[in-house]
Amino acid sequence: MAGKSGRTINNVPESPVKKMIFSWEGILVLVLIGINIFCAIFSEFYNLSSLLRQMPTYLAEVFLMLGMAYILVLGEIDISVGSTVCLSATLACLASNAGLPFVLVFVVALLVGTACGIVNAIILTQFPELPPMIVTLSTQIIFRGIAEIVLGSGGSVSVTNTDGFRAIGGKVGQVPYILFLVLILAVIFAVILGKSTFGRRVYAIGTNRLAAYYSGIHVQKIRFLIYSVMGTMSGLCAMFLISSSYGANTTTGQNFEMDAIAMAVFGGISSTGGKGNIAGGIISAFCIVCLRVGLGQRNVHAQVILLIIGLLLIGAVGLPNIVGNIRKSAKKS
Amino acid sequence: MEKKSLWKKITGSREALLFVILILLFIVVTAFNSSFLTPNSLQNLLKNNAVTMVMSLGMLCVMLVGGIDISIMSTLALSGMAIGMLLKYDHVSGTVIPFIIALAIGAACGFVVGLVISRADVPPIIATMGFMYIYRAMGYLISNGGEWASATALGSFSDFATTKILGLNCVIWIIVICYVFFYWFMKWTRTGRKIYAVGSNPEAAEVSGINVKNIKLLVYTIMGILGGLGGALQVGIYASAMPDMQKGGEMDVIAACVIGGVSMSGGRGSVIGALLGSLILATIAKALPLIGIDSLAQNTFKGVLILVVIVVNVILQRAADKNALSRREM
Repeated sequence: MAGKSGRTINNVPESPVKKMIFSWEGILVLVLIGINIFCAIFSEFYNLSSLLRQMPTYLAEVFLMLGMAYILVLGEIDISVGSTVCLSATLACLASNAGLPFVLVFVVALLVGTACGIVNAIILTQFPELPPMIVTLSTQIIFRGIAEIVLGSGGSVSVTNTDGFRAIGGKVGQVPYILFLVLILAVIFAVILGKSTFGRRVYAIGTNRLAAYYSGIHVQKIRFLIYSVMGTMSGLCAMFLISSSYGANTTTGQNFEMDAIAMAVFGGISSTGGKGNIAGGIISAFCIVCLRVGLGQRNVHAQVILLIIGLLLIGAVGLPNIVGNIRKSAKKS
Repeated sequence: MEKKSLWKKITGSREALLFVILILLFIVVTAFNSSFLTPNSLQNLLKNNAVTMVMSLGMLCVMLVGGIDISIMSTLALSGMAIGMLLKYDHVSGTVIPFIIALAIGAACGFVVGLVISRADVPPIIATMGFMYIYRAMGYLISNGGEWASATALGSFSDFATTKILGLNCVIWIIVICYVFFYWFMKWTRTGRKIYAVGSNPEAAEVSGINVKNIKLLVYTIMGILGGLGGALQVGIYASAMPDMQKGGEMDVIAACVIGGVSMSGGRGSVIGALLGSLILATIAKALPLIGIDSLAQNTFKGVLILVVIVVNVILQRAADKNALSRREM
C-alpha cells in the first residue's frame, strides 16, 4: 500500500509478544541476561549476594541517568553534572564537618545540586539560542573550579562523622537502600515521562521544538524544570557517593556525565531527541552495573571496562543504522 | 562618522574584537608584571600551549561541519604512548620516524571515528564519547598497564623541543607551519571551501554535488592527524609519556574554538579566530598567577570567561538582528 510519498501503511497489528521481544528493551533484557551468565562464568565470586554487596558504588550514577534521560529526550545534553556532583559532595562534606545534623547535610547537598542546575537552567532559558553543550561545558569548568577553590591546596576533604552516611549506605536484609531508591525513582520518572501530559510535552519538544512552541507548550518553562531536576539528582548522587567513599576531592564525579549519557544512550534514548524511554535506560544501567561488578571481581582494570562500554555504546547506536542502510539499499536494488 | 565606521568594523568582525581583547589583556598583564612581555616568556607561553593551539585547528574543521570531537585527547594519549613505548624499548629512535608513526596512528584513529560518524550515522558526541573511552583504554593497554616512558627512555626524541631554528623554538615553528597551512587550506583550496559549504547547509552542499559523507570523514581524519601530532608534541615538550596525559584537555580545545567565534551549529568560524581564541585562553592561564590570582581560581575564571564570551556574542547577534529588522521596516 505504497502512498505517494513511498511510505507504506501497515494496518495489521503485530503480535504483542513479538513486538516486545524485538523492541530495543527486549534486546536489552537479553543482553542483561547474557551479561549475568558471562559474569557468572568469568568470576567464581559472582552471585546475587556479592552483586548486591558491590552494587551501591556504581548505582549512584543511575540517579544521573534518570535526569539525563529527560535532557536527552529534549534533544539536549548536560555535561556539567559530574562537576555538580563534585561541588555538592564537597559542600556536603564541609557541612557535615561543621557539625550540622545529617538531615541538614542532605538538604545542603540537594540544594547545592539544585542551585547548580538552576544556574544552567537560567542561562539556557534566557539565551535559548546557545547550544547546551557549550553552556554546560563552561559551567562544568566553573562548578569544579569552585570546588577546587573551596577545597584549597589539599584538594580533598573527608567526613569526620560518618554515622549518617553509614546509615544511608545500609541495607534491608541483603538489599541496599540505594537500590530501592533507584527503583522507586525510576518508576516515578518513567511514569511521568511515559504517561503524563508533562512527559508527552517533553517528547513533543524533543521531536520538533518549533511545532511544540506553536502548539502552546511552554518550552522554556519545561527546560528550566528539567535542568533544575538534573541538578537535584546530582546532589542525590553526591550523597550516596560520600556514603561509599566518606569524602570528596577535586576529581570526584569526573566523567560521570559521560557514564550517565552512555547508560541512557545504550538504553535506546536517542541523543537527537524525542526517542527512548526510562525502562530502556534503567535496564541498560543495570547491564553496565552488572558488567562492572563482574569484571571488577576478577581485577579487570577500570580502563578495560571503559573500553567495553565504549564498544557497546558505539555498537548499540551504529549497528541499527548500518542494518537499516543495508536494508534500504537492498530494497532499492 | 569615521569613528562610527571604525567602531562598526570592530564590532562587526569577530576577529578584530578578539584581537582588541588580546591586546588589552597583554597591556593589563604587563602593567601588573613586566616580566610577561619578554620574548622568552612569550615563547614559553606558545610552547606550553602548543598542543591546544595545534589541535584547535582540527576542532575548527570538525565544528565547521557541525560536529564535535571529544575523543581527541585519547587519540593524543594513544599515539603519544605508542611512540613513548617504541622509544623506550628501542624499536625506533631519532625524531622523524616517531613523528611519522604518531601521525599515522592519529590518522587511523580519526579515520575510524570518521567512518563511524559518516557511514553509521552515529551522532558525533556519542561516537566520540565511545572512542574517548576506547582510545584511552588502548593507550593504557599498550603501556603494559600504566608504565611511563621517562625522559631517559625517550633518548634523543625530545631534543627537538629544546632546539632553536632561526631564534625560534622548533615547537613554535610547527605551530606556525600548521596555522599557515590551514589558513591556506581553509581559504584557498576547493576542499576547504567544501568544508564551509557542508557546515552552512548540508542539504544544499549535497545537491550541489559535494559528497557530504566524505567531507565528514576527511574532517575527522584531519582531527585525528592533528591528535597524533599533538601526541608527539606532548611527549616531546614534557619529555615523558604516560597513559593519562591531557585527560580532560579536549574541553580546553573546544573552549578555545568557542572563544574564537567558531559556531557549534557549523559553518561559522575561521583559522584566525581559532588562533586568537587559543591565544586568549593561553594568556589568561599564564597571566592569572602573574597578576596575583591564586592558581586554584584559574578554572573558575576560565569557565566564567567562556560563559561571558558566548553570552556577549548572543547579545551582539540579537542587537544586529534587531538592527537589520528595523532597517528593513523603513
